[in-house]
Amino acid sequence: MKKIWIFLLLSLLFSSCQEEVVLDLDQKDSRVPVIEAHWTDQSVYNEVKISLSKNYYDSLDQELIRDADVFIKEQSTGRKIAFRYLEATRSYRTNPTERARVGETYQLNVTWKGQVFQSEGLMLEPPIVDSVVWNYEEKRLFRDEGYFVKVYGKIPFTENNYYRIRVIENDTLYNQPEDYLLFDDTFGLQVFEKGLELGYAFQENDRIRLELYRINKDVFDYLSQLVNLLFNDGGLFSPPPQNPKSNIKVVKGNSQVLGFFVVSPVLSRTLVISSK
Amino acid sequence: MSFHRLLLFLLLFLIASPAFPQEKLVLRGQVMDAGNLQVLVGVNVYWEGKEQQGTATDLDGYFYIPATTLPAKIILSYLGYEKSIRIIQVRDLEKVQRFYLKAEDFSLEEVLIQEKRGDEQVKNLELGKSTLSMETLQSLPALFGEVDLLRSLQLLPGVKSAGEGTTGLFVRGGSADQNLVQVDGAPVYNASHFFGIFSVFNPDGIKKVDLYKGNMPASFGGRASSLIDVTLREGEKDRIQGEGGIGTISSRLTLQGPLLGKNSSFLISGRRTYADLFLKLSSNPDLKNNQLNFYDLNGKAAFSLNEKDKLSVSSYQGSDILGLSGQFGLGWKNWVSAVNWNRVNSDSSFFDLQAYHSRYSYQVKFDNDENGFDWTNSLSESGIKASWTRVLAPSTTLVWGAHGQLYHFAPSDLKPSPNNPINRRQTQGVQGVLGNAFVGLTHEFTEKLSGELGLRQGVYAQLGTGKVYQYPGNDPNPDQEPSDSVFYNNAEVMQRYQGLEPRIAFRYLLRPEFSLKLAYNRNFQYVQIASNSSAGLPIDRWVLAGQYIRPIKSDQISLGVFHNFDQNRWELSVEGYYKDLDQVIDLRNGARILLSDQVETELLSGRGWAYGAEFLLRKNKGKTTGWLAYTWSRAWRQIDGISKDRPYNPRFDRPHDVSLVLNHQFSPAWSSSLTFVYSTGQAVSFPVGSYLVDNQPVPLYSDYRNENRFPDYHRLDASVTWKNPDQGRKWKGSWNFGVYNLYGRKNPFSYDFRTVYNNQINYSPSDGKIVSARPGVVMTYLFTFLPSITYNFQF
Repeated sequence: MKKIWIFLLLSLLFSSCQEEVVLDLDQKDSRVPVIEAHWTDQSVYNEVKISLSKNYYDSLDQELIRDADVFIKEQSTGRKIAFRYLEATRSYRTNPTERARVGETYQLNVTWKGQVFQSEGLMLEPPIVDSVVWNYEEKRLFRDEGYFVKVYGKIPFTENNYYRIRVIENDTLYNQPEDYLLFDDTFGLQVFEKGLELGYAFQENDRIRLELYRINKDVFDYLSQLVNLLFNDGGLFSPPPQNPKSNIKVVKGNSQVLGFFVVSPVLSRTLVISSK
Repeated sequence: MSFHRLLLFLLLFLIASPAFPQEKLVLRGQVMDAGNLQVLVGVNVYWEGKEQQGTATDLDGYFYIPATTLPAKIILSYLGYEKSIRIIQVRDLEKVQRFYLKAEDFSLEEVLIQEKRGDEQVKNLELGKSTLSMETLQSLPALFGEVDLLRSLQLLPGVKSAGEGTTGLFVRGGSADQNLVQVDGAPVYNASHFFGIFSVFNPDGIKKVDLYKGNMPASFGGRASSLIDVTLREGEKDRIQGEGGIGTISSRLTLQGPLLGKNSSFLISGRRTYADLFLKLSSNPDLKNNQLNFYDLNGKAAFSLNEKDKLSVSSYQGSDILGLSGQFGLGWKNWVSAVNWNRVNSDSSFFDLQAYHSRYSYQVKFDNDENGFDWTNSLSESGIKASWTRVLAPSTTLVWGAHGQLYHFAPSDLKPSPNNPINRRQTQGVQGVLGNAFVGLTHEFTEKLSGELGLRQGVYAQLGTGKVYQYPGNDPNPDQEPSDSVFYNNAEVMQRYQGLEPRIAFRYLLRPEFSLKLAYNRNFQYVQIASNSSAGLPIDRWVLAGQYIRPIKSDQISLGVFHNFDQNRWELSVEGYYKDLDQVIDLRNGARILLSDQVETELLSGRGWAYGAEFLLRKNKGKTTGWLAYTWSRAWRQIDGISKDRPYNPRFDRPHDVSLVLNHQFSPAWSSSLTFVYSTGQAVSFPVGSYLVDNQPVPLYSDYRNENRFPDYHRLDASVTWKNPDQGRKWKGSWNFGVYNLYGRKNPFSYDFRTVYNNQINYSPSDGKIVSARPGVVMTYLFTFLPSITYNFQF
C-alpha cells in the first residue's frame, strides 16, 4: 500500500525535482552499541553481530565490537550457551550443535565495557510449507511480465502470528525497503493456503532461496517501524522520524542500545526457475 | 448605570419624545444597489451627527439601528457609491425601509479591498477576525493560476502553512483539524483536492470568507483554533449572467440569474481540472493511461418569500479521482447542503433557522480477481441551528439559540474480491450527538467602552451501537490484549461530556480611530483527526470523543491595539495572544490506525500551548492597496511518550512569518499583484548518526523530537491582469499572466537520508552493478519558476 501512495504522489508532483545536498548535521557525541542477534533452529543462521553507530557522513564501513561477552540463557534450565567472536564471520558464534528449541524462552546477555544488555524471545512452532511453485505471467497492473513464485502452506495457529519472508536471488538478498515482506493475521491467514504470491518477476535460470520466519510480536513491530523509517522522506506526509523500538534493554549502564534479538524457526526452500 | 443616571435618562427620553409609546424604537432597513438590486453588505448607517454610534448592513443587506429623537436624518455611506441621506419620520419605523444606493462612476480609485466599513476594524468587538473579500482573493497571484481560498488565508497574520503547496492551515499553534471550515453553516470535512494542493472552493461561487482566530461569537463553536466561515454567492435578480475562466490546470463556469420571477434567484458554479492531459504527455508508460482529475459544483437558490421571510438552499459537491489503467482507483467526495430561513419578526426581533447535512467519503478500489479489494469509508454530520436576535435597548442586543449536531461515522470496510483469500475487515461505526445552547449579550457601557459576553454550553454523548474494550490497569497498550469488552445498544449513551465555553470581549475607544480590545475564549472540540503526519491525507481517520479520547479544550486570551490613519486609508493592528490546549492527541511510533477498532491503544495525549504577536499594516484605498503582515509566534506540545516526555515543537512551529501583498491598478485595463512570503523553516528531526542493522544503513535519530529546522522558506509571486476596458460590451474578457516563485528558490519539500549508489541519487541496486555507496542527503523541492495563464470572462 505504501508504495502506491508514493507513486501517486510523485506522479502528481510532476514538476518536482531532486538534488543532492550536504546538510550540516549535529552529531551525537557518543557511539551507541548496535546488537543484532539471531537465534534459530539452524546453526548457520545463529549469530550475534555487535557494532557501533557512527556519524552520518562517515563511510559505510561498520565499526565492530570484538570484545563483548555474549551468551544466551535457556530460561527453563538456566543453561548458558556461550558465544565467541570469529573474525571469519565478523560476528559472535557458538557451537554448531546448539540451536533453539520450540517452546523454549531464551535470554540474550551482552556485557561490554561494564554495561549489560538483555533481551528475551520465545521460540515458536514453525508453520507448514507444502510447496513452492512458479508460473509465467503476462504483464499486469503493478506487475511486470515474468515468472512469479507462489508459496503454499498452512498456518494453523490462532495467536502469535507474525511472519517474515526473505528472498535471495542468485545469492543476493533483496534488501531494499520495499523488499521487506512482513505479515500478520490482520487479514486472516487463508492467503497462505490459497497461495502467497511474491511480487518479483523472475527470469529463467534464476536460483531463488526463500526463507520464512515466525517471529515474536516485538520483533515484528521493530521491523515494521524500521521499514517505515526507511520509507520516511521527511516530508509532510511522513510522520516525524523515530528510532524503531528495540526489544533489547539496558540492564546496567547508562547508554542507549540499538538493534534487535530475534528467536525464530526458519523454513527455507531453494528453487531454480526453468520453463516447463 | 447608577440610579441617578437612569432617572435622568428616562426623564430626557420622556420629554424629548412625548408622542412615543413606551417601547424600543428601532429603524429597520435594507440597502440595495440601485442598478442591479443586489443587496449591499457592510454599508455604514448612522444618524446625522452620530457617526460613532452607527451600524452596518448584514449579509442580506439588512440593518437595524436604535432610533431616538425623530424626525432625524439617516445617512448611508458605502465605498464606491454615492452617499444617501433620508429624513426618517416616526411612521417609518413601522416597516422595513428600502434604500437604494447609486454606484459612483468608474474611477481609478477602484477599491480592491472592502472591509465591512472603513473604520470597522477599530469600532467592532471582533478581535482576531479577518475578512477576505473575493476581489482581493482573485487578484492574488496563484499556484498554477488557480486562485485558492485556503492558501490565500495563509497570507494573513497568525495563519501558517505546513509546507509548500498545501492548503492545510495552522492557526495560532493549533493543528489543521482544529479549524472548522463551513459553507453557509455546513461543515466541510476534507476541504482540499489533490492531497492538499488545492482547496475545494471555487472562488466564483463565493461571496466572502471570514476567518475567526481570536474571538468567536457564542453562536459558533466546535473547533479549538479557528472558524473559516464561507458564504456562497447568491444570484443577481435582474438577468441571467455568467462568468468563467480557462486556466492552465482547470476551467470554471458560473451561471446566475432570477429563478421564479424577481423574488428569487439562483447561482450555479462549477470547476474541473484536466491534469490528466499532462499525464498523457508523459513519456512514462505507467502514467499515460491514468485518470487524475477533480471537480467542484456549488449552487445556491435564494427566495424572498415575503417582506419578512427569506429562504435559501445551498449545496456543494466535489470529488477527486485518481485512476490507474482503469483497474486501480482512489477517490474521495464531499457533499454538503444547507437550508437557511431568515425571518424578521418585528422591529427588534429576528430569527434564523438553519439545517444542514455534510458527508465525506472515500474509496480505494483494485479490480483484480485474485488480489482485488474495495475499501470504503464515509462520515457525515447533520445539524439544526436556531437563533434569535433581540434589540433590548438602544445599546443592548441579545442573541440566543441552540445548535444540535448528529455525527455518524460509518464503518470503514475493506471487502476483498471473491477470489482474494484475505479476510474482509471492518471497523465499527461510531455515532455521537452534540447539543449546544448559546447566549450572547452585546452592550455599550459608555460611548467608549462596549463589551460582549457570550456563553455556549455543549452537551455531548457518544451513542451506541458500539463495543468498547477494557484493558488491564485501564491502560490501553498495544502490547497487551484487552481484558474485557462492553457492548452498547442502539442509541445507548456510551460516554458523555459537557463543556461551558465563555466568550468575552471588550473594546475601549481611546480616540475615534484608536481602540484597544481584549478577549477571552474557551472552545471545546469533540471530533479530531488521529494522524501522525503533518499534512492531511484524504484517508485520515476522524475520531469522536469517547471513553479513551477526551474532547480538546482550548483557552485563548488575546489583546489588541487597532489604529486607523488618514481617514481609514491605512489600518494598523497589533494583536498578542496566548493559547492553552488540553487533551491534544498524537500517535505512537508505528501506529496502525486506518482499519483498527482499538484506536485508543495507539494514541498518546497531552497538552499544547502557543503564544505570539501579530502585526498587520493594511492599505485599503487608492491605486496601490495591500498589506504587510508579520507574526512572531511559538507553538509547543508536551505529550508523555514523545520526546522523552519533554516539551517539543510541532512541525508547524515557525517563529517568523512575513507576508507582503501588493496590488496596483496601473490603468482601467492593467493591474498587477505581487506576493512575498518569508517564514522560518519547519521544525523537524535530522539524523544524529547512522548504524547498520539487518544489512541496512539506517539513520539514527535523537530521542528528542523536532530539534532541527528546514532552511527558511521564501518566495515571490507576481501576476499581471489585463481587463478589456470597454464597459459597453456584453462579453468581457480578461487575461491573467502569473508566475509562482519568480526567482525560483529551491524551497525544500523533504530531505531523504539514504545511501547514494554510484554517485547517482536515483540509482538503486536493482538497476545494475554497484561501484560505490556512500551516505547522502537528497532534497526534494517542488515548484520553482512556474508560469501560468488564465483567461477569465463575464457575460
